[in-house]
Amino acid sequence: MVSKEEIMKIAILSKLFVSEEEIDSLTEDMDKIIAFADTINNATDAGTDFDNINNLSDVLRDDVEVPSYDREKILANAKDSADGCFLVKNIMK
Amino acid sequence: MSEGKIAKLHGMLEAKEISCKELAQTYIDASERDNEKLNAYVTMTPEIALNTAEAVDKKIANGEKIGLLEGIPMTLKDNISTDGIKTTCCSKILEDYVPVYDATVWTILKKQNAVLIGKTNMDEFAMGSSCETSVFGGAKNPHNINCVAGGSSGGAASAVGGNIAVYGLGSDTGGSIRQPAGFCGIVGLKPTYGAVSRYGLIAYASSLDQIGPITSSVEDAAAVFDAISEYDEKDSTSQGRKGEPVCGTLKNDIKGMKIGIAHEYLDGVREDVKQSIEKAADVYKSLGAEIVYFDLPALKYALPVYYILACAEASSNLGRYDGIRYGYKAENYRDVNDMIKKTRSRGFGDEVKKRILLGTYVLSAGYYDAYYKKAQNLRGTIVNAFKNAFNICDVILAPTVPMTAFENGRAVSDPVETYLTDICTVPVNIAGLPGISLPCGYDSNGMPIGMQLIGNTFDEAKILNAAWQYENAANVFRPSDFGVKL
Repeated sequence: MVSKEEIMKIAILSKLFVSEEEIDSLTEDMDKIIAFADTINNATDAGTDFDNINNLSDVLRDDVEVPSYDREKILANAKDSADGCFLVKNIMK
Repeated sequence: MSEGKIAKLHGMLEAKEISCKELAQTYIDASERDNEKLNAYVTMTPEIALNTAEAVDKKIANGEKIGLLEGIPMTLKDNISTDGIKTTCCSKILEDYVPVYDATVWTILKKQNAVLIGKTNMDEFAMGSSCETSVFGGAKNPHNINCVAGGSSGGAASAVGGNIAVYGLGSDTGGSIRQPAGFCGIVGLKPTYGAVSRYGLIAYASSLDQIGPITSSVEDAAAVFDAISEYDEKDSTSQGRKGEPVCGTLKNDIKGMKIGIAHEYLDGVREDVKQSIEKAADVYKSLGAEIVYFDLPALKYALPVYYILACAEASSNLGRYDGIRYGYKAENYRDVNDMIKKTRSRGFGDEVKKRILLGTYVLSAGYYDAYYKKAQNLRGTIVNAFKNAFNICDVILAPTVPMTAFENGRAVSDPVETYLTDICTVPVNIAGLPGISLPCGYDSNGMPIGMQLIGNTFDEAKILNAAWQYENAANVFRPSDFGVKL
Protein backbone atom coordinates (compact mmCIF):
# COMPACT_ATOMS: atom_id res chain seq x y z
CA MET A 1 0.00 0.00 0.00
CA VAL A 2 1.31 3.40 -0.92
CA SER A 3 0.48 6.15 1.57
CA LYS A 4 -0.61 9.76 1.05
CA GLU A 5 2.64 10.84 2.71
CA GLU A 6 4.71 8.86 0.20
CA ILE A 7 2.83 10.46 -2.70
CA MET A 8 3.45 13.91 -1.22
CA LYS A 9 7.18 13.13 -0.88
CA ILE A 10 7.39 11.86 -4.49
CA ALA A 11 5.50 14.98 -5.64
CA ILE A 12 8.16 17.20 -4.06
CA LEU A 13 10.91 15.24 -5.86
CA SER A 14 8.92 15.59 -9.13
CA LYS A 15 8.44 19.35 -8.61
CA LEU A 16 4.65 18.98 -8.65
CA PHE A 17 2.01 20.30 -6.28
CA VAL A 18 -0.71 17.88 -5.21
CA SER A 19 -3.76 19.63 -3.82
CA GLU A 20 -5.94 18.43 -0.93
CA GLU A 21 -8.74 17.71 -3.41
CA GLU A 22 -6.49 15.57 -5.62
CA ILE A 23 -4.61 13.55 -3.04
CA ASP A 24 -7.23 10.86 -2.27
CA SER A 25 -8.03 9.86 -5.84
CA LEU A 26 -4.37 10.18 -6.87
CA THR A 27 -3.25 7.91 -4.00
CA GLU A 28 -5.91 5.38 -5.01
CA ASP A 29 -4.78 5.41 -8.66
CA MET A 30 -1.08 5.29 -7.76
CA ASP A 31 -1.74 2.40 -5.39
CA LYS A 32 -3.34 0.41 -8.24
CA ILE A 33 -0.52 1.28 -10.65
CA ILE A 34 2.25 0.44 -8.14
CA ALA A 35 0.54 -2.86 -7.23
CA PHE A 36 0.51 -3.64 -10.95
CA ALA A 37 4.20 -2.68 -11.32
CA ASP A 38 4.95 -4.83 -8.28
CA THR A 39 3.91 -7.99 -10.20
CA ILE A 40 7.44 -8.12 -11.65
CA ASN A 41 8.64 -9.03 -8.18
CA ASN A 42 6.71 -12.32 -8.47
CA ALA A 43 8.98 -13.26 -11.37
CA THR A 44 11.07 -16.32 -10.57
CA ASP A 45 13.41 -15.30 -13.38
CA ALA A 46 16.23 -13.16 -11.95
CA GLY A 47 16.65 -11.57 -15.37
CA THR A 48 19.68 -10.85 -17.47
CA ASP A 49 21.95 -7.85 -17.25
CA PHE A 50 20.67 -5.31 -19.71
CA ASP A 51 22.88 -2.50 -20.86
CA ASN A 52 21.20 -1.05 -23.93
CA ILE A 53 19.19 -2.02 -26.95
CA ASN A 54 20.80 -3.43 -30.12
CA ASN A 55 24.37 -3.29 -28.68
CA LEU A 56 24.71 0.44 -29.19
CA SER A 57 27.71 2.27 -27.89
CA ASP A 58 28.15 5.95 -27.14
CA VAL A 59 28.91 8.10 -30.14
CA LEU A 60 30.99 11.21 -29.55
CA ARG A 61 31.55 13.86 -32.16
CA ASP A 62 34.82 15.70 -32.61
CA ASP A 63 35.11 18.66 -30.27
CA VAL A 64 34.86 21.23 -33.03
CA GLU A 65 32.87 24.43 -32.87
CA VAL A 66 29.86 24.36 -35.21
CA PRO A 67 27.23 27.02 -35.89
CA SER A 68 24.34 26.95 -33.43
CA TYR A 69 20.82 28.35 -33.50
CA ASP A 70 19.93 32.01 -33.56
CA ARG A 71 19.77 33.42 -30.01
CA GLU A 72 16.85 35.75 -30.80
CA LYS A 73 14.81 32.89 -32.24
CA ILE A 74 15.46 30.74 -29.19
CA LEU A 75 14.62 33.55 -26.76
CA ALA A 76 11.38 34.24 -28.64
CA ASN A 77 9.95 31.12 -26.97
CA ALA A 78 10.72 32.37 -23.45
CA LYS A 79 8.04 34.30 -21.58
CA ASP A 80 10.69 36.58 -20.05
CA SER A 81 14.12 37.48 -21.36
CA ALA A 82 16.56 40.36 -21.01
CA ASP A 83 19.97 41.22 -22.48
CA GLY A 84 19.99 38.07 -24.59
CA CYS A 85 19.37 35.80 -21.58
CA PHE A 86 16.46 33.96 -20.00
CA LEU A 87 15.04 35.94 -17.12
CA VAL A 88 14.09 34.42 -13.76
CA LYS A 89 13.52 35.82 -10.28
CA ASN A 90 16.60 36.16 -8.07
CA ILE A 91 17.93 32.79 -6.99
CA MET A 92 20.62 34.14 -4.60
CA LYS A 93 19.66 36.60 -1.89
CA MET B 1 -2.71 -6.72 -57.06
CA SER B 2 -2.50 -4.67 -53.86
CA GLU B 3 -1.27 -1.20 -54.77
CA GLY B 4 -0.28 1.81 -52.79
CA LYS B 5 -1.95 5.20 -52.91
CA ILE B 6 1.40 7.02 -53.10
CA ALA B 7 2.42 5.28 -56.36
CA LYS B 8 -1.04 5.91 -57.81
CA LEU B 9 -0.99 9.65 -57.03
CA HIS B 10 2.63 9.89 -58.17
CA GLY B 11 1.56 8.40 -61.51
CA MET B 12 -1.30 10.89 -61.79
CA LEU B 13 1.07 13.82 -61.12
CA GLU B 14 3.61 12.59 -63.66
CA ALA B 15 0.90 12.00 -66.29
CA LYS B 16 -0.44 15.53 -65.55
CA GLU B 17 -3.90 14.11 -64.81
CA ILE B 18 -3.95 16.44 -61.82
CA SER B 19 -1.64 19.29 -60.83
CA CYS B 20 0.13 19.12 -57.50
CA LYS B 21 -1.64 22.31 -56.40
CA GLU B 22 -5.04 20.80 -57.25
CA LEU B 23 -4.12 17.68 -55.32
CA ALA B 24 -2.98 19.69 -52.28
CA GLN B 25 -6.11 21.88 -52.42
CA THR B 26 -8.34 18.79 -52.61
CA TYR B 27 -6.78 17.41 -49.42
CA ILE B 28 -6.84 20.82 -47.69
CA ASP B 29 -10.56 21.26 -48.50
CA ALA B 30 -11.41 17.74 -47.32
CA SER B 31 -9.32 18.25 -44.17
CA GLU B 32 -11.00 21.55 -43.32
CA ARG B 33 -14.42 19.96 -43.86
CA ASP B 34 -13.88 16.61 -42.07
CA ASN B 35 -11.61 17.74 -39.26
CA GLU B 36 -14.65 19.15 -37.47
CA LYS B 37 -15.82 15.58 -36.97
CA LEU B 38 -12.50 13.73 -36.79
CA ASN B 39 -10.43 16.21 -34.73
CA ALA B 40 -7.36 14.69 -36.41
CA TYR B 41 -5.42 17.94 -36.88
CA VAL B 42 -4.40 20.36 -34.16
CA THR B 43 -2.61 22.75 -36.54
CA MET B 44 -3.23 23.05 -40.27
CA THR B 45 -0.57 24.35 -42.66
CA PRO B 46 -2.36 25.08 -45.98
CA GLU B 47 0.03 27.86 -46.99
CA ILE B 48 3.10 25.64 -46.61
CA ALA B 49 1.30 22.85 -48.47
CA LEU B 50 0.36 25.08 -51.42
CA ASN B 51 3.82 26.68 -51.68
CA THR B 52 5.44 23.24 -51.83
CA ALA B 53 2.86 22.06 -54.35
CA GLU B 54 3.65 25.05 -56.58
CA ALA B 55 7.35 24.19 -56.53
CA VAL B 56 6.53 20.61 -57.56
CA ASP B 57 4.27 21.85 -60.38
CA LYS B 58 7.14 23.99 -61.67
CA LYS B 59 9.43 20.96 -61.76
CA ILE B 60 6.81 18.95 -63.65
CA ALA B 61 6.23 21.83 -66.09
CA ASN B 62 10.00 21.98 -66.71
CA GLY B 63 10.02 18.31 -67.57
CA GLU B 64 12.04 17.37 -64.47
CA LYS B 65 11.61 13.95 -62.87
CA ILE B 66 9.89 13.99 -59.48
CA GLY B 67 10.53 11.59 -56.61
CA LEU B 68 7.91 9.14 -55.34
CA LEU B 69 7.00 11.24 -52.28
CA GLU B 70 7.14 14.61 -54.03
CA GLY B 71 3.85 16.46 -53.89
CA ILE B 72 2.11 13.81 -51.79
CA PRO B 73 -0.12 15.28 -49.01
CA MET B 74 1.00 14.12 -45.57
CA THR B 75 1.00 14.91 -41.84
CA LEU B 76 3.35 14.97 -38.86
CA LYS B 77 2.41 14.05 -35.30
CA ASP B 78 2.55 17.09 -33.05
CA ASN B 79 5.60 15.82 -31.14
CA ILE B 80 7.81 16.00 -34.27
CA SER B 81 9.65 19.34 -34.28
CA THR B 82 8.95 21.67 -37.19
CA ASP B 83 10.96 24.89 -37.54
CA GLY B 84 8.55 27.83 -37.36
CA ILE B 85 5.44 25.64 -36.93
CA LYS B 86 3.85 25.21 -33.49
CA THR B 87 4.66 21.83 -31.90
CA THR B 88 2.61 21.31 -28.76
CA CYS B 89 2.71 17.59 -27.87
CA CYS B 90 -1.00 18.34 -27.29
CA SER B 91 -0.09 19.68 -23.85
CA LYS B 92 -0.90 23.00 -22.18
CA ILE B 93 2.74 23.23 -21.14
CA LEU B 94 3.82 23.54 -24.81
CA GLU B 95 0.69 25.41 -25.98
CA ASP B 96 2.64 28.12 -27.83
CA TYR B 97 6.01 26.45 -28.41
CA VAL B 98 7.52 27.06 -31.85
CA PRO B 99 10.66 24.97 -32.51
CA VAL B 100 13.71 26.64 -34.04
CA TYR B 101 14.82 23.51 -35.87
CA ASP B 102 13.38 20.59 -37.83
CA ALA B 103 13.33 16.95 -36.76
CA THR B 104 15.57 14.94 -39.11
CA VAL B 105 12.58 13.03 -40.55
CA TRP B 106 11.02 16.36 -41.54
CA THR B 107 14.34 17.62 -42.98
CA ILE B 108 14.44 14.50 -45.17
CA LEU B 109 10.82 14.75 -46.31
CA LYS B 110 10.97 18.51 -46.84
CA LYS B 111 13.88 17.99 -49.25
CA GLN B 112 11.63 15.58 -51.12
CA ASN B 113 8.89 18.23 -51.36
CA ALA B 114 6.43 16.42 -49.09
CA VAL B 115 3.23 18.46 -48.86
CA LEU B 116 2.53 19.08 -45.17
CA ILE B 117 -1.22 19.43 -44.56
CA GLY B 118 -0.87 19.77 -40.79
CA LYS B 119 0.24 18.54 -37.41
CA THR B 120 -1.83 15.75 -35.91
CA ASN B 121 -3.53 15.16 -32.59
CA MET B 122 -2.06 12.82 -29.98
CA ASP B 123 -2.30 11.85 -26.34
CA GLU B 124 -0.48 14.46 -24.25
CA PHE B 125 3.27 13.71 -24.57
CA ALA B 126 2.23 10.43 -26.27
CA MET B 127 0.99 9.09 -22.93
CA GLY B 128 -2.25 7.26 -23.56
CA SER B 129 -3.99 4.67 -25.70
CA SER B 130 -7.06 6.57 -26.85
CA CYS B 131 -5.81 10.06 -27.83
CA GLU B 132 -8.15 11.39 -25.14
CA THR B 133 -5.42 12.80 -22.88
CA SER B 134 -4.82 15.44 -25.60
CA VAL B 135 -5.49 18.97 -24.36
CA PHE B 136 -7.44 19.45 -27.64
CA GLY B 137 -9.77 16.46 -26.99
CA GLY B 138 -9.37 13.08 -28.69
CA ALA B 139 -9.28 12.30 -32.41
CA LYS B 140 -12.25 10.27 -33.60
CA ASN B 141 -12.34 6.94 -35.40
CA PRO B 142 -13.25 7.40 -39.09
CA HIS B 143 -15.20 4.10 -39.05
CA ASN B 144 -17.45 5.41 -36.25
CA ILE B 145 -16.86 8.82 -34.73
CA ASN B 146 -18.43 7.68 -31.44
CA CYS B 147 -15.35 5.52 -30.96
CA VAL B 148 -11.75 6.48 -30.23
CA ALA B 149 -9.09 6.54 -32.94
CA GLY B 150 -6.64 4.94 -30.51
CA GLY B 151 -3.41 6.37 -29.29
CA SER B 152 -1.20 7.92 -28.91
CA SER B 153 -0.86 8.75 -32.65
CA GLY B 154 -4.67 8.92 -32.90
CA GLY B 155 -4.73 12.05 -35.06
CA ALA B 156 -2.43 10.54 -37.70
CA ALA B 157 -4.51 7.34 -37.84
CA SER B 158 -7.75 9.32 -37.98
CA ALA B 159 -6.38 11.53 -40.81
CA VAL B 160 -5.08 8.61 -42.90
CA GLY B 161 -8.07 6.35 -42.13
CA GLY B 162 -10.36 9.31 -42.83
CA ASN B 163 -8.46 9.91 -46.08
CA ILE B 164 -7.68 13.55 -45.39
CA ALA B 165 -3.95 12.77 -45.70
CA VAL B 166 -2.16 10.13 -47.76
CA TYR B 167 0.28 9.24 -45.01
CA GLY B 168 1.38 10.46 -41.61
CA LEU B 169 4.41 10.10 -39.41
CA GLY B 170 3.69 8.97 -35.88
CA SER B 171 5.81 7.83 -32.96
CA ASP B 172 5.60 4.51 -31.12
CA THR B 173 6.83 4.06 -27.54
CA GLY B 174 4.57 1.15 -26.52
CA GLY B 175 2.26 0.76 -29.52
CA SER B 176 1.39 4.34 -30.40
CA ILE B 177 1.66 3.79 -34.17
CA ARG B 178 0.38 0.20 -34.39
CA GLN B 179 -2.57 0.44 -31.95
CA PRO B 180 -4.33 3.43 -33.60
CA ALA B 181 -3.57 1.97 -37.04
CA GLY B 182 -5.24 -1.25 -35.84
CA PHE B 183 -8.26 0.64 -34.45
CA CYS B 184 -8.69 2.68 -37.67
CA GLY B 185 -8.24 -0.20 -40.13
CA ILE B 186 -4.98 0.99 -41.70
CA VAL B 187 -1.26 0.19 -41.68
CA GLY B 188 1.26 1.33 -39.05
CA LEU B 189 4.96 0.48 -39.03
CA LYS B 190 7.13 0.76 -35.93
CA PRO B 191 10.70 0.39 -37.24
CA THR B 192 13.62 -1.22 -35.40
CA TYR B 193 15.00 1.03 -32.64
CA GLY B 194 17.67 3.12 -34.37
CA ALA B 195 16.43 2.60 -37.95
CA VAL B 196 14.83 6.07 -38.08
CA SER B 197 16.39 9.15 -36.48
CA ARG B 198 14.73 10.42 -33.29
CA TYR B 199 16.42 13.82 -33.56
CA GLY B 200 13.68 16.41 -33.05
CA LEU B 201 11.14 13.94 -31.68
CA ILE B 202 10.08 15.36 -28.33
CA ALA B 203 11.08 12.59 -25.95
CA TYR B 204 8.73 10.46 -23.87
CA ALA B 205 10.90 7.37 -23.16
CA SER B 206 14.13 7.60 -25.12
CA SER B 207 15.08 3.91 -25.11
CA LEU B 208 11.64 2.94 -26.47
CA ASP B 209 10.54 5.85 -28.75
CA GLN B 210 10.67 5.36 -32.51
CA ILE B 211 9.20 7.32 -35.44
CA GLY B 212 7.39 5.45 -38.22
CA PRO B 213 4.77 5.75 -40.97
CA ILE B 214 1.00 5.40 -40.78
CA THR B 215 -0.46 4.64 -44.23
CA SER B 216 -3.45 3.03 -45.92
CA SER B 217 -1.41 0.25 -47.55
CA VAL B 218 1.72 -1.84 -46.95
CA GLU B 219 3.32 -0.53 -50.15
CA ASP B 220 2.97 3.05 -48.89
CA ALA B 221 4.48 2.10 -45.51
CA ALA B 222 7.46 0.58 -47.33
CA ALA B 223 7.91 3.69 -49.50
CA VAL B 224 7.89 6.06 -46.52
CA PHE B 225 10.15 3.78 -44.47
CA ASP B 226 12.69 3.65 -47.30
CA ALA B 227 12.68 7.45 -47.43
CA ILE B 228 13.15 8.14 -43.72
CA SER B 229 15.47 5.30 -42.60
CA GLU B 230 18.75 7.19 -42.97
CA TYR B 231 21.68 7.22 -40.57
CA ASP B 232 21.74 10.52 -38.68
CA GLU B 233 24.79 11.78 -36.80
CA LYS B 234 22.51 13.98 -34.68
CA ASP B 235 20.96 10.91 -32.99
CA SER B 236 23.56 8.88 -31.09
CA THR B 237 21.34 5.76 -31.31
CA SER B 238 20.85 6.09 -35.07
CA GLN B 239 21.89 3.22 -37.32
CA GLY B 240 19.72 3.76 -40.38
CA ARG B 241 18.26 1.01 -42.55
CA LYS B 242 20.41 -2.10 -42.87
CA GLY B 243 20.34 -3.40 -46.41
CA GLU B 244 18.66 -2.43 -49.63
CA PRO B 245 15.41 -0.42 -49.86
CA VAL B 246 12.55 -2.63 -48.68
CA CYS B 247 10.38 -1.76 -51.71
CA GLY B 248 12.52 -4.07 -53.86
CA THR B 249 11.57 -7.23 -51.96
CA LEU B 250 8.01 -6.31 -51.01
CA LYS B 251 6.27 -8.66 -53.43
CA ASN B 252 8.63 -11.64 -53.09
CA ASP B 253 7.21 -15.11 -52.76
CA ILE B 254 6.86 -16.25 -49.12
CA LYS B 255 6.75 -20.01 -49.76
CA GLY B 256 8.56 -21.72 -46.89
CA MET B 257 8.57 -18.62 -44.67
CA LYS B 258 8.11 -19.66 -41.04
CA ILE B 259 5.41 -17.63 -39.30
CA GLY B 260 5.39 -18.07 -35.54
CA ILE B 261 2.41 -17.72 -33.22
CA ALA B 262 3.24 -17.43 -29.51
CA HIS B 263 0.41 -18.84 -27.36
CA GLU B 264 0.84 -16.00 -24.84
CA TYR B 265 -0.13 -13.39 -27.44
CA LEU B 266 -3.59 -14.98 -27.70
CA ASP B 267 -4.26 -15.21 -23.94
CA GLY B 268 -7.10 -12.92 -22.88
CA VAL B 269 -7.71 -11.73 -26.43
CA ARG B 270 -11.36 -11.26 -27.45
CA GLU B 271 -12.74 -14.26 -29.35
CA ASP B 272 -13.45 -12.45 -32.65
CA VAL B 273 -9.92 -10.98 -32.64
CA LYS B 274 -8.44 -14.44 -31.99
CA GLN B 275 -10.48 -15.91 -34.85
CA SER B 276 -9.22 -13.22 -37.23
CA ILE B 277 -5.61 -14.09 -36.33
CA GLU B 278 -6.32 -17.78 -36.95
CA LYS B 279 -7.89 -16.90 -40.32
CA ALA B 280 -4.79 -14.85 -41.18
CA ALA B 281 -2.67 -17.92 -40.35
CA ASP B 282 -4.82 -19.90 -42.83
CA VAL B 283 -4.16 -17.26 -45.51
CA TYR B 284 -0.42 -17.66 -44.86
CA LYS B 285 -0.72 -21.45 -45.15
CA SER B 286 -2.45 -21.01 -48.52
CA LEU B 287 0.49 -18.83 -49.62
CA GLY B 288 2.91 -21.64 -48.80
CA ALA B 289 4.18 -20.34 -45.47
CA GLU B 290 4.60 -22.64 -42.50
CA ILE B 291 2.85 -21.83 -39.20
CA VAL B 292 4.87 -22.64 -36.07
CA TYR B 293 3.28 -22.46 -32.59
CA PHE B 294 5.58 -21.82 -29.63
CA ASP B 295 5.70 -20.49 -26.06
CA LEU B 296 7.07 -17.08 -25.09
CA PRO B 297 6.59 -17.07 -21.28
CA ALA B 298 8.70 -13.91 -20.81
CA LEU B 299 5.81 -11.93 -22.34
CA LYS B 300 3.95 -11.99 -19.02
CA TYR B 301 6.45 -9.46 -17.60
CA ALA B 302 6.29 -7.15 -20.59
CA LEU B 303 3.53 -4.77 -19.50
CA PRO B 304 4.74 -3.95 -15.95
CA VAL B 305 8.34 -3.77 -17.25
CA TYR B 306 7.19 -1.33 -19.92
CA TYR B 307 5.32 0.95 -17.52
CA ILE B 308 8.21 1.01 -15.02
CA LEU B 309 10.87 1.80 -17.63
CA ALA B 310 8.76 4.18 -19.74
CA CYS B 311 7.66 6.20 -16.70
CA ALA B 312 11.18 6.26 -15.24
CA GLU B 313 12.53 7.68 -18.49
CA ALA B 314 9.58 10.07 -18.79
CA SER B 315 10.13 11.47 -15.30
CA SER B 316 13.66 12.36 -16.35
CA ASN B 317 12.82 13.59 -19.88
CA LEU B 318 9.97 15.79 -18.67
CA GLY B 319 12.16 17.40 -16.02
CA ARG B 320 13.06 20.04 -18.62
CA TYR B 321 9.63 21.70 -18.56
CA ASP B 322 10.17 24.50 -16.08
CA GLY B 323 8.49 27.52 -17.72
CA ILE B 324 11.79 29.35 -18.11
CA ARG B 325 12.90 28.72 -21.68
CA TYR B 326 9.71 27.87 -23.58
CA GLY B 327 6.07 27.00 -23.20
CA TYR B 328 3.53 27.83 -20.52
CA LYS B 329 4.68 29.76 -17.45
CA ALA B 330 2.58 30.10 -14.30
CA GLU B 331 1.82 33.54 -12.90
CA ASN B 332 1.77 34.71 -9.26
CA TYR B 333 4.66 32.87 -7.66
CA ARG B 334 7.02 33.53 -4.75
CA ASP B 335 10.34 32.35 -6.13
CA VAL B 336 11.85 30.26 -8.95
CA ASN B 337 11.08 26.94 -7.28
CA ASP B 338 7.47 27.94 -6.69
CA MET B 339 7.21 29.09 -10.31
CA ILE B 340 8.55 25.77 -11.64
CA LYS B 341 6.19 23.74 -9.44
CA LYS B 342 3.15 25.87 -10.37
CA THR B 343 4.07 25.76 -14.07
CA ARG B 344 4.37 21.96 -14.06
CA SER B 345 1.28 21.38 -11.91
CA ARG B 346 -0.93 23.58 -14.10
CA GLY B 347 0.78 22.78 -17.42
CA PHE B 348 0.74 18.97 -17.33
CA GLY B 349 -2.46 16.94 -17.53
CA ASP B 350 -3.42 14.23 -15.01
CA GLU B 351 -2.05 11.23 -16.96
CA VAL B 352 1.32 12.91 -17.50
CA LYS B 353 1.57 13.85 -13.81
CA LYS B 354 0.70 10.26 -12.82
CA ARG B 355 3.47 8.87 -15.03
CA ILE B 356 6.02 11.39 -13.75
CA LEU B 357 5.11 10.40 -10.18
CA LEU B 358 5.38 6.67 -10.93
CA GLY B 359 8.71 7.22 -12.69
CA THR B 360 10.08 9.24 -9.79
CA TYR B 361 8.83 6.57 -7.36
CA VAL B 362 10.57 3.65 -9.13
CA LEU B 363 13.82 5.63 -9.37
CA SER B 364 13.82 6.90 -5.78
CA ALA B 365 16.11 5.59 -3.04
CA GLY B 366 14.76 2.40 -1.53
CA TYR B 367 12.69 1.45 -4.58
CA TYR B 368 15.28 1.58 -7.38
CA ASP B 369 16.43 -2.05 -7.01
CA ALA B 370 12.95 -3.50 -6.55
CA TYR B 371 11.46 -1.74 -9.57
CA TYR B 372 13.82 -0.05 -12.03
CA LYS B 373 16.77 -2.45 -11.73
CA LYS B 374 14.51 -5.50 -11.70
CA ALA B 375 12.59 -4.22 -14.74
CA GLN B 376 15.86 -3.59 -16.62
CA ASN B 377 16.97 -7.17 -15.93
CA LEU B 378 13.62 -8.54 -17.09
CA ARG B 379 14.02 -6.41 -20.21
CA GLY B 380 17.17 -8.46 -20.85
CA THR B 381 15.12 -11.65 -20.41
CA ILE B 382 12.52 -10.45 -22.93
CA VAL B 383 15.23 -9.45 -25.46
CA ASN B 384 16.76 -12.93 -25.19
CA ALA B 385 13.36 -14.65 -25.45
CA PHE B 386 12.70 -12.90 -28.78
CA LYS B 387 16.23 -13.76 -30.01
CA ASN B 388 15.47 -17.44 -29.33
CA ALA B 389 12.05 -17.14 -31.00
CA PHE B 390 13.67 -15.91 -34.20
CA ASN B 391 15.76 -19.10 -34.27
CA ILE B 392 12.55 -21.03 -34.89
CA CYS B 393 10.55 -18.60 -37.03
CA ASP B 394 11.09 -15.72 -39.49
CA VAL B 395 8.30 -13.45 -38.30
CA ILE B 396 5.78 -13.55 -35.44
CA LEU B 397 2.04 -13.12 -36.06
CA ALA B 398 0.01 -11.61 -33.20
CA PRO B 399 -3.03 -9.43 -32.59
CA THR B 400 -2.30 -5.68 -32.46
CA VAL B 401 -4.82 -5.02 -29.70
CA PRO B 402 -6.87 -7.60 -27.72
CA MET B 403 -10.09 -5.79 -28.75
CA THR B 404 -11.44 -3.25 -31.25
CA ALA B 405 -11.88 0.52 -30.81
CA PHE B 406 -13.96 1.37 -27.75
CA GLU B 407 -16.40 4.25 -27.25
CA ASN B 408 -15.15 7.74 -26.48
CA GLY B 409 -14.72 8.41 -22.76
CA ARG B 410 -14.32 4.82 -21.64
CA ALA B 411 -10.53 4.84 -21.26
CA VAL B 412 -10.32 7.11 -18.29
CA SER B 413 -12.08 5.08 -15.57
CA ASP B 414 -9.48 2.52 -14.44
CA PRO B 415 -5.78 3.30 -15.12
CA VAL B 416 -4.55 -0.32 -15.06
CA GLU B 417 -7.41 -1.56 -17.26
CA THR B 418 -6.47 1.10 -19.82
CA TYR B 419 -2.81 0.05 -19.73
CA LEU B 420 -3.87 -3.54 -20.57
CA THR B 421 -4.86 -2.45 -24.09
CA ASP B 422 -1.11 -2.15 -24.79
CA ILE B 423 -0.34 -5.75 -23.86
CA CYS B 424 0.31 -6.99 -27.43
CA THR B 425 2.29 -3.96 -28.59
CA VAL B 426 4.78 -3.14 -25.77
CA PRO B 427 7.02 -6.25 -26.13
CA VAL B 428 8.25 -4.97 -29.52
CA ASN B 429 9.45 -1.68 -27.99
CA ILE B 430 11.07 -3.42 -25.03
CA ALA B 431 13.10 -5.59 -27.41
CA GLY B 432 13.70 -2.80 -29.98
CA LEU B 433 12.15 -4.87 -32.78
CA PRO B 434 10.23 -3.80 -35.89
CA GLY B 435 6.48 -4.43 -35.91
CA ILE B 436 3.71 -3.65 -38.38
CA SER B 437 -0.04 -3.55 -37.86
CA LEU B 438 -2.45 -4.10 -40.74
CA PRO B 439 -6.18 -4.77 -40.98
CA CYS B 440 -7.26 -8.43 -40.87
CA GLY B 441 -11.03 -8.23 -40.37
CA TYR B 442 -13.96 -6.37 -38.78
CA ASP B 443 -16.06 -7.02 -35.68
CA SER B 444 -19.86 -7.34 -35.68
CA ASN B 445 -20.15 -3.53 -35.43
CA GLY B 446 -17.95 -2.99 -38.45
CA MET B 447 -14.94 -1.83 -36.42
CA PRO B 448 -11.53 -2.90 -37.78
CA ILE B 449 -9.44 -5.69 -36.25
CA GLY B 450 -5.66 -5.34 -36.55
CA MET B 451 -2.96 -7.98 -36.81
CA GLN B 452 0.68 -7.49 -36.07
CA LEU B 453 3.78 -8.94 -37.71
CA ILE B 454 6.96 -8.74 -35.66
CA GLY B 455 10.46 -9.23 -37.05
CA ASN B 456 13.98 -9.59 -35.75
CA THR B 457 16.06 -6.39 -35.50
CA PHE B 458 16.43 -4.65 -38.88
CA ASP B 459 14.18 -7.25 -40.56
CA GLU B 460 11.73 -4.61 -41.85
CA ALA B 461 12.01 -6.08 -45.35
CA LYS B 462 10.78 -9.47 -44.10
CA ILE B 463 7.75 -8.19 -42.15
CA LEU B 464 6.74 -5.81 -44.95
CA ASN B 465 7.04 -8.66 -47.46
CA ALA B 466 4.84 -10.91 -45.29
CA ALA B 467 2.41 -8.03 -44.71
CA TRP B 468 2.11 -7.21 -48.42
CA GLN B 469 1.48 -10.86 -49.31
CA TYR B 470 -1.32 -11.07 -46.73
CA GLU B 471 -2.85 -7.74 -47.81
CA ASN B 472 -2.79 -8.82 -51.44
CA ALA B 473 -4.28 -12.27 -50.79
CA ALA B 474 -6.87 -11.38 -48.13
CA ASN B 475 -8.00 -8.00 -49.52
CA VAL B 476 -9.79 -6.91 -46.34
CA PHE B 477 -9.20 -3.13 -46.45
CA ARG B 478 -12.39 -1.05 -46.30
CA PRO B 479 -12.15 2.71 -46.82
CA SER B 480 -14.09 4.93 -44.42
CA ASP B 481 -16.79 7.33 -45.64
CA PHE B 482 -14.64 10.40 -45.00
CA GLY B 483 -12.18 12.37 -47.04
CA VAL B 484 -10.88 12.50 -50.57
CA LYS B 485 -12.19 10.08 -53.18
CA LEU B 486 -9.60 9.87 -55.95
